[in-house]
Amino acid sequence: MEAPPVAVMPVTGGSIHMMEYLLQGSVLDQALESLLHRLRGLCDNMEPESFVDHEMVFLLKGQQGSPFILRARHSLDRPAAPWHLRYLGQPEVGDKSRHALVRNCVDVSASHSLHDFLLEMGFRMDHEFVAKGHIFRKGALKVVVFKLFRILLPGNTENTEPLSLSNLVELSVLAPAGQDTVSDDMRNFAEQLKPLVHLDKIDPKRLM
Amino acid sequence: MCLTLCVCVCVCEIVIVFCARSVSQVPVAEGKSVQQTVEMLNRKLEQLGAVKQGNFCVDCETYHAGAIGSPGQPPKFLYVMHNSEAPLSCFALFENGPCLVADPNFDVLMIKLKSYFQNAKSNKVESRGARYQYCDFLVKVGTATIASSARGITVEVEYCPCVTANDCWNLLMEFMQSFLPSHIPGVPSMFGVKTDGVYSPSDTMAQYLELFSKLRKQQAATGSGMR
Repeated sequence: MEAPPVAVMPVTGGSIHMMEYLLQGSVLDQALESLLHRLRGLCDNMEPESFVDHEMVFLLKGQQGSPFILRARHSLDRPAAPWHLRYLGQPEVGDKSRHALVRNCVDVSASHSLHDFLLEMGFRMDHEFVAKGHIFRKGALKVVVFKLFRILLPGNTENTEPLSLSNLVELSVLAPAGQDTVSDDMRNFAEQLKPLVHLDKIDPKRLM
Repeated sequence: MCLTLCVCVCVCEIVIVFCARSVSQVPVAEGKSVQQTVEMLNRKLEQLGAVKQGNFCVDCETYHAGAIGSPGQPPKFLYVMHNSEAPLSCFALFENGPCLVADPNFDVLMIKLKSYFQNAKSNKVESRGARYQYCDFLVKVGTATIASSARGITVEVEYCPCVTANDCWNLLMEFMQSFLPSHIPGVPSMFGVKTDGVYSPSDTMAQYLELFSKLRKQQAATGSGMR
């Protein structure tokens, strides 16, 4: 057993300034195959990956007005994979001409004790859902096409029903803050998906 | 986060503390400092034939949940620890509660949560020292410091080929007797609790946490005694 000879220091901290650039759209079930076909052509040459994920959204209510939201996600078809915890900040209100929604994003991979740990921290689960779909990649761009399923009995991921007759399409890039050329690349890619799907900057606040 | 390669992903560890103040436990001569005791242990290991392989560091930060929970309850403490043996991991624990193993971005998340969990910076405990390998054993002798003042000594002994804790406690004890002064403490409390018996890095961190908590309590006790 070879041990590392050099003094290894623990790595503390990560990157606090990662931003998620996001464009969203949707397609009806009938148009799904055509979209997947076009994405296979446009994206990096690799087998498109399909996934079945279970996501739980947790809230922490403090003394401040709005609660702190964390999203915990794990794979149902690859149960050994680590859980994924995600924090998404408020969308940046900046340049109106920017083509994508920009928000601060912190991604943490975690062990399977994440659910119990979040409850111990004081978080409470607000809602959960199952997402089934495909993921494509083109360089740093990530395209995810998936269908949302409502969970009928809390905690039971076998018993689900589709939320709608559509599939959600998300085009996203994770990049350090300040790289605004990213949204131009995203817009150019989104152009190639028209008229199958129109990807837009959708402000979550306007939906509430 | 999870270890790599092949085969025996090691680990069956114990952590014991010799606090220079605990006179009954350590046959340290009057006037010997923490540093001198550590050097003495290091020399004993080298005489045994152990080879020094770099240094190690284990640290622990305390966060307290100020704004959460019902008013009557005592404040909850969340401990975030790092171990140089698992450089790309971050461990978050509640005392006697669940333990989370995450990647280093968890520290960034704690910064985002700063209005809910306050970092008690003066409570940061660190143990640093040399890392020795002797055949199938890894021994780390560290000086535990709270706010840069040495408060005790931690000795971590790891028996690499075995992952079942209860199977190798006797072997660990026998090995420890060869280089440690007389007192060897009993089986760590968590060994009894484990149902499947498979050891993991979070067990190591839980042991360090227990140790660091003891040191903090001793520091608090001495502090009040000096007034």
